[in-house]
Amino acid sequence: MREGVTTKRALCASCDIACSVVTEIKNGRVVRVRSSDNPIFRDHICMKGIVAPKGFANPNRILHPLKRVGERGSGKWEQVTWDEAMADIGSRLQAVVDRYGPEAWAVSTSQWNTSTDHGLGRRVMNHVGSPNWISGVALCAGNTAAVNRFTYGWFPFGDFNNTRCIVLMGHNPRRHSWTPIYNYIRSAQQRGAKLIVMDPRRSSSAERADIWLPLKVGSDTAMMFGWLKVIIDEGLYDKEFVAEWTVGFDELRQRVDEYPLERVAELTGCDPEMIASAARLYATHGPTIIPWTPITDMQRNSTSGIRLQSILRAICGYLDVPGGELLQGFNPDIINESEIEMHHVLPEAQKAKQLGSQDHPAFTYRGQSAFREPTRRVYGQEYANLVMGCHMATPSATFQAMAGEGPYPVKAFFFLGNNPLLSYANMPMILKGMMNQELIVAHEQFMTPSAQLADYVLPADSWLERPWLHDMFGWMSTVRFSEKSMDPPGDCRSTFQFWKLLAGALGQSDIVPWDTLEDFYDYRVARTGMSFADLVATTEVHFAKPEFRKYEKTGFATPSGKVELKSSVLEGLGFDPLPYFREDPPRDDAYPLMMFTGVREDGFFQTGHRHIPEMRARHPEPEIYLNEKTARTAGVRDGEWVAVENQLGRIKAKLAIRDAMPDDLVRVPHGWWKPEMPQGHGQLSGAHDYADSQLCRDDDDFLDREQGIPHIKGIPCRVVSLMSPSGDAEIVDASLLEPVE
Amino acid sequence: MSGNSRGFMQSEFMGKLMVAMAARSSRNRSLLDRLCRRALNRLTALPPEEDFMRDPLIDNDEGFDPEELDRYQRGE
Ligand code: SF4
Repeated sequence: MREGVTTKRALCASCDIACSVVTEIKNGRVVRVRSSDNPIFRDHICMKGIVAPKGFANPNRILHPLKRVGERGSGKWEQVTWDEAMADIGSRLQAVVDRYGPEAWAVSTSQWNTSTDHGLGRRVMNHVGSPNWISGVALCAGNTAAVNRFTYGWFPFGDFNNTRCIVLMGHNPRRHSWTPIYNYIRSAQQRGAKLIVMDPRRSSSAERADIWLPLKVGSDTAMMFGWLKVIIDEGLYDKEFVAEWTVGFDELRQRVDEYPLERVAELTGCDPEMIASAARLYATHGPTIIPWTPITDMQRNSTSGIRLQSILRAICGYLDVPGGELLQGFNPDIINESEIEMHHVLPEAQKAKQLGSQDHPAFTYRGQSAFREPTRRVYGQEYANLVMGCHMATPSATFQAMAGEGPYPVKAFFFLGNNPLLSYANMPMILKGMMNQELIVAHEQFMTPSAQLADYVLPADSWLERPWLHDMFGWMSTVRFSEKSMDPPGDCRSTFQFWKLLAGALGQSDIVPWDTLEDFYDYRVARTGMSFADLVATTEVHFAKPEFRKYEKTGFATPSGKVELKSSVLEGLGFDPLPYFREDPPRDDAYPLMMFTGVREDGFFQTGHRHIPEMRARHPEPEIYLNEKTARTAGVRDGEWVAVENQLGRIKAKLAIRDAMPDDLVRVPHGWWKPEMPQGHGQLSGAHDYADSQLCRDDDDFLDREQGIPHIKGIPCRVVSLMSPSGDAEIVDASLLEPVE
Repeated sequence: MSGNSRGFMQSEFMGKLMVAMAARSSRNRSLLDRLCRRALNRLTALPPEEDFMRDPLIDNDEGFDPEELDRYQRGE
């Protein structure tokens, strides 16, 4: 230990993985973040965690509440106190609620705030009467959790420690992104586990795979039909489990018969023999896991793709067995976030108003209501808001309502740790919606493009500056604890304090009755017989008693109590109860390439971290990737500035040639803006130049039917040069960057 | 994988044992806790040179100097 240094055990929240780390503190501030001493968390640290002490010390951090004094987006602010801010916010929110109804208030959260609000936001909203909560988890894990419930009532987590085979569907965990998953896979491979990778790119995971299926972008669902065709035709499934624990196998078989391997080969672009080999390996080398992947979360066939993953897991007998897909349930010793949220107090009439729930109900109250009784039967409570994704409004429908194009107006918009303009599809619609608000409140660490349009920007603390209790999004039954390492700077406050103050400002202090975050945690852990302080001092992980095949005692948390290969809930909602594959809509020759976005770059989490010099040194500019052949055909060269365009919009980026990219596919970087560029409406710190959300369409052809989430893995586009004909490194015409009509 | 074969029961037992050892390793207070941590350490150690994405930024990290962070925060 270095002289004068003390340590704390913490959970990193610089991304949503929550690695167990150690902070080293000197002179009252964190000077180093390193991985935990516990071998079960060995090497769980990435560059974003390491650089956190500097990232949060950035001189541009928001340290005091700011109130807008000019026009919306004018960049004119005055410093106010928290008391002044919350009193005004409370009365203005109440005025919106009184005039338009409580549903006119929408809240968005994600990013550094994922899982650190503990369900308090939903709790306050449920008491006020608004169902319109949205989050980035609508297209990243939350929606997967909700859709998994259609098949077996919970969202499983793969048992990496004991598995014999891992399937990565487009997912590419690396040293600096999804770091623990990268470590688990490395460790499993070392033990002899097999790795199957489906990815259009020759990703770093593909390079280390036993089988790599270089499928066409967005064809994952078709590929899984091919696997099922082989597995069912060759009788490689678990017949005993299927007979005893599933419903709808015959109907599934008929649907699968519509996908002979030749058809699947055509849809995916993969060799039929390789498809069959992968399917056989999956089914016969088990227990196998298909870890959660963001790729199937973001496609027009998302619901069917996620359902097919669930079906593969089930019929091969991998559910809730060692080395397979664990259905852990809640930790019985902790009051979970779903309980904190108090969904039961929101009247049914208000639930029915949840935006998007009529057309795209899968993860809304309406879509999930059939699980209330089965969830009570199996997991002891009606509401299981797994990964916060099971009772959400649909983001696109929410922004339309904000823009005055919905069934009713939304007039107050709050976002916490979230940069909505860059985090969801169709930035022009989000911008229109935000400019149409009567009240916008941001709880933020930095002046993001979205915060620049707020009425109030309230300074947020960081994970170094508060304790934390992490219940793994309700996904797993392990619970971990984090110590506060240093005091927050200035007036920065936690989301707990934000919601507590807001409840008070609305005259409903009793909704958040705890004085401090520590008191709140003491309440949540009381059943352990210990205080939060005792727990954090004595253990890093609080495990629930492990049990396997729990369904043998309780059944599955579905209406039938069985694994529903044919979903009674989807059928009841008016959708096809079996998975299906929607092909791409007809192509417009003007946009000959396909793009995908949504990938994490190592130095950044979502739209954050662009302010950290060390991270920007790694990624100074937004880069698109093309292979050499595609670049040549498009008439663009390595290192030059190019525009990516489609029917919705245009962004600019530097071109990087990557031979790992297949022909005609463009990788677009996610969430780019530059904190050093001019702020305010019309500028938005470069968001108009770089933000990929300007290319993400949410018209019907590009939405998943059941969920209403956008298809961002295969959007037609073109790439054009922005260089002068002489090849100077100049952008020829800035007007090229105006939005396309 | 369904059924109650001997192999299956064994894998369930091993799965439970791993969690019990991880719980002890996380507590790391009694002698048994420490033994579990040591055993897990041996079981799970991977040679760093086989980390195919090894990064000196992590290997060589020594953190920041508090005065340097103070100055940075003040914009100096
Ligand atoms: S992966 Fe990196 S940023 Fe994410 S929690 Fe772990 S250390 Fe922090």
